[in-house]
Amino acid sequence: MDISAFVLFWAAIFTSNILLTNFLGMCSYLSVSREVESSFGLGIAVMFVLTVTAALNWLVYNYVLVPFNIVYLQFIVFIIVIAAFVQFLELVIERYVPALYYTLGIFLPLITVNCAIFGVSLFMVIRDYSFLQSIAFGAGSGLGWLLAILMLAAIRRKLKEKLVPTGLQGVGISLIITGIMALAFVGFSGIVQIQ
Amino acid sequence: MKETPQELRVRKRMLPGAITLNGFIGKDKRSLNTIIAADEQELEALGFSPEDIADRMQYFTDASFSTFDGFIVIDGIYKVETEVVRGKLPCPYAHGGLYRKAVTKITNTEKNISLSWTSLNIHLIKDHHFFEGKGSMYRLEPSILVKALY
Amino acid sequence: MIFVILKDIAILSAISTILALVMVLAQRWLSNYGTCKIDINGKRDVSVIGGSSLLSSLSEKQIFLPSACGGRGSCAACKCKVLSGGGPVLPTERPLLSKEELSAGNIRLACQVKVKSDISIEIPSSIFNIRRYHATIAEIIDYTYDIKGITFKFDDGEKIDFLAGQYVQLETEPYPEMKQRVVRAYSISSKPEINDALQLIIRYVPDGICTTWVHKYLKVGDKVSLTGPYGDFYLRETDADIIFVAGGSGKAPIKSILEHLQIVGTTRKMTYFFGARTVRDLYLTDEFKALEDVFPDFKYEPVLSQPDPNDNWSGKTGFVMPYFKETIRDPKNTEAYLCGSPGMINAVTKALMENGLAKEKIYYDSFG
Repeated sequence: MDISAFVLFWAAIFTSNILLTNFLGMCSYLSVSREVESSFGLGIAVMFVLTVTAALNWLVYNYVLVPFNIVYLQFIVFIIVIAAFVQFLELVIERYVPALYYTLGIFLPLITVNCAIFGVSLFMVIRDYSFLQSIAFGAGSGLGWLLAILMLAAIRRKLKEKLVPTGLQGVGISLIITGIMALAFVGFSGIVQIQ
Repeated sequence: MKETPQELRVRKRMLPGAITLNGFIGKDKRSLNTIIAADEQELEALGFSPEDIADRMQYFTDASFSTFDGFIVIDGIYKVETEVVRGKLPCPYAHGGLYRKAVTKITNTEKNISLSWTSLNIHLIKDHHFFEGKGSMYRLEPSILVKALY
Repeated sequence: MIFVILKDIAILSAISTILALVMVLAQRWLSNYGTCKIDINGKRDVSVIGGSSLLSSLSEKQIFLPSACGGRGSCAACKCKVLSGGGPVLPTERPLLSKEELSAGNIRLACQVKVKSDISIEIPSSIFNIRRYHATIAEIIDYTYDIKGITFKFDDGEKIDFLAGQYVQLETEPYPEMKQRVVRAYSISSKPEINDALQLIIRYVPDGICTTWVHKYLKVGDKVSLTGPYGDFYLRETDADIIFVAGGSGKAPIKSILEHLQIVGTTRKMTYFFGARTVRDLYLTDEFKALEDVFPDFKYEPVLSQPDPNDNWSGKTGFVMPYFKETIRDPKNTEAYLCGSPGMINAVTKALMENGLAKEKIYYDSFG
């Protein structure tokens, strides 16, 4: 793909938002968006994981999978790399930022199975990005995810849940709000197309 | 939908055996938010805010506090007594602050209603709008509470 | 074909193994804090394996900081000064520290601070006297319908050194309704001269975790754990007259003090007002009445506020406060020792001060 890493970074946030355009990474997004502080913490963690795993998986793909001809195992290998990295990150956070570790709780290891992380690595392979492009794409997607969860958390904080019909309270109204946000983001699509 | 990690931790602390023997949830299977929202709605329909109710409860507890093992009668209708035992309880929301174990028993002799509450109840109602889950030992139904206290 | 498959499997396994090795090393390096030195009051240091909380690291070294919640971060009893090595204040500590403590910066909750490096702390020296005791229940006496006296005999060699009036913390054992252990404070009711056993007076509280265990499940022969002694409620060694006021289970520290005085002897004028509601709430009445013949000037005055007409109570009635006036002979040379609920202490303190007692001479062990 002949697109500068810089443009790719911004495209990943707005026109090709991993969550609002591709609808990946919804589970922890819906659960953690109840509180703004934990949303921010989780968003930063996801962004960090996305950037690093995009880079790591690019290296593994191009220097291990391709030379050894086991590209078909990319699904398994990518997940193993992501899992190892998230576990490592958890140890680091527990040691150096115990406050964040306490706030995120179970959602930190759950980042491993967040489809957004895996999705970014797969997109990187499908669209054949270079190393720099992968990092930019990972960082941009992370920032886009962070943006989306912060917006939903902010809206939910102001939402008077008791005015919502009982059947739609909780997940229902969150999904509707997300859909409306996605519609708004469609407005960015004319700027640059990467998918 | 999963409750956030914070909510799960709070609910765990409200189960029997975590802070008190009988817990604060009773047999209620609804999520904390649902319980609180339902009680808030009921109270709003009656025209009172949880803060008003909590202040009124505090008024009765304070009035009967220093009576040395007896009860007092307020306004000729309310028979109140408060008993304090040793120790302090933390709030299940774990934001710090310890509440003394003071149990206030009030009887509205006019309407013939008797209720009890603890200092922790007053705090839970005032700051968290939580009246305890249905089936819990110190569950206070907003409608009965209003009837008894006013 | 087989070769290709085997080769692919081998590479996949290699990748997994390498990553697993990296994880093991990371775990070793990041979660291992090595041996850390805890410097206490600049006078003593202990070495512990890093990674645990300050509270548990110290208790492994037989130094027991008070804790009512068992290290869960809800009671703030384990506050201590951490001079260095404690890291930043955690969000779990903030709500339990006052504004002054937070701005001083070095007051921390020992149960939340993790020992990750050498750390230096400051704790009151009375802490060194606090030990953990392993005891067996030797006797359970039913004093009233809701009060039991439990005697704890310590295991061989364990001895306690306390002042009459102090309290211990009893650890509950799990029972059907309650899977966790809690810790609750009870005043010692036996005299300090007995140092290989002690007695506690425990009243049943309907929703109480510990009292339900004591009243429903505890039997002679059970093994329990306690820590102590704690508290600063004890008899001051002066020659002032004394007024004791305590009802219900508050009688415990007063019993300890009087039994101790029986041994060391005293000529002080003492009066003990035991406030209760009905005859059902009285206990150890004969024993305390008997003390009137032991001491040169001691009066035991039970006062009932709601005596049942059928009991034919001929003693004092109402509340204890009105009887102070006739008891106090020199308010400037009178001390008062109160044990009970904060409401009772408020009411009694007010009445005592109205009778001329100085606030500093009124000592109390407040329940709440």
